[in-house]
Amino acid sequence: MASTERAFEVADQASADGAGRAYLVPDWVRVRREDFGLLFYDTRSTRLTFVRSGDRLVAPPFTGSPRFLGVGAGGEGASGEAPAGAGPSGAGRGGAALAHLLEDLVAKGLLVAAAAE
Amino acid sequence: MPPLLSDRLLPRLSSAPLRAPVNVTWEITGACNLRCAHCLSAGLRSQRRGELDLDQCRTLLDELARMQVFQVNFGGGEPFLRDDFLEILHYAHHHGITTCVSTNGTLLDEVLVDALLEMAPVYLQVSLDGACAGTNDVIRGRGTFERILAGIELLAERGYPDFSLNMVVTRLNATEVGDFDRLARRYGAKTRLSRFRPSGGGCHTWDDYRPTKKQLAELSAFLGGHPEILTGDSFFALTPDSRRNLGLNMCGAAKMTCAVAPDGSVYPCAFLSDPAFLAGNVTRKRLGDIFASSAPFERFRALEVEACRGCDRFSICHGGCPAVGYFLTEAMGLPDPECLRAVVPAGRIAERAKEPAKEVA
Repeated sequence: MASTERAFEVADQASADGAGRAYLVPDWVRVRREDFGLLFYDTRSTRLTFVRSGDRLVAPPFTGSPRFLGVGAGGEGASGEAPAGAGPSGAGRGGAALAHLLEDLVAKGLLVAAAAE
Repeated sequence: MPPLLSDRLLPRLSSAPLRAPVNVTWEITGACNLRCAHCLSAGLRSQRRGELDLDQCRTLLDELARMQVFQVNFGGGEPFLRDDFLEILHYAHHHGITTCVSTNGTLLDEVLVDALLEMAPVYLQVSLDGACAGTNDVIRGRGTFERILAGIELLAERGYPDFSLNMVVTRLNATEVGDFDRLARRYGAKTRLSRFRPSGGGCHTWDDYRPTKKQLAELSAFLGGHPEILTGDSFFALTPDSRRNLGLNMCGAAKMTCAVAPDGSVYPCAFLSDPAFLAGNVTRKRLGDIFASSAPFERFRALEVEACRGCDRFSICHGGCPAVGYFLTEAMGLPDPECLRAVVPAGRIAERAKEPAKEVA
């Protein structure tokens, strides 16, 4: 038996700004760490999205709720609680690119943006 | 639309594999109530190697959850013949693992369908090998078309949300793919076409069932015009550029997926369940360790089809399915004998949505 159909996309970084927001991983999405960054899986479509984020995004626990994506310095912020100031607050082009990447993931339904406490 | 993964990341998976499979094919039982002529898993019954008990299944699911495997594709045999199968599905869902079940559909009744509907989404893939009884029953057994259709009708009546009808494309049914697609649509199901390979029972029926070159060329064109049709990455070596964004551009065995046999033996993929590729057994070693560092998996990840490097389609298929070449020649690293270039020379590929011609008996 072969697999349920999959499709593959790569989300890349561009430029924009989305500072000051936290990013919730919806119940229907799984995300795990890989060497290149994060690998998202949408359980509704079985679609994979490869995100070349390096250490800038940190996967939350595989299951449970709520699950917030860790954003910013590698290894910081991934937890089941909304991190204070969890938005992409890095200054300059890197922060803007990360913000755009996060917006792209929100548009794909892989993240939900929420106001950080 | 973001750029496709294929040219940018997947080729590197051979040198930098994923930390865990994206999905695992788990042949949960060798038992089956049908005797299909092309069955991939026909060898399971004859080998009688036993199957994991419920506790062992739970242990494996614990490991899959630890590895963060996204999806398990259950097959067999017929999975619903296992009395504890719904319990196994429940346990997978408890761990947040998405499940897909390949079934022959003959055991679907109201009680079972309602039980499945109450679970987290279970993707059902019902096997049917023709658009009519005359074709299907030659392959899957006399009277099976009507029995399978009864299960499909029940799924449709109950409004089952996520099911597909799967046809293994053979010489017998290749001209029916259009009718098969219409049949699936009639029941609100997705159409899924899978590749016939010379493994398992397919070794014995290969010469009679393998599609002709003409049929393969027509199938390629048909798939090119029907992006909505699922293929489970069966035909990546055959499909035209228009489907490039729809799935893998290379064999994912040992890189993105692997297979577990009923007794816990681990192989690169279900089509390579051969002693030459046995990588370990989950009752003796953790699947994570087998995937990461077993010699057969490392060899498989390093496999290169050198003869295909000069082909204009190399970036699309990277040599195709290694299993087909292996079972025909017992050698690895040979070009897929059914790739698009083998059936349609360069410059003659018609990428129109043509339906395969029906043969007049």
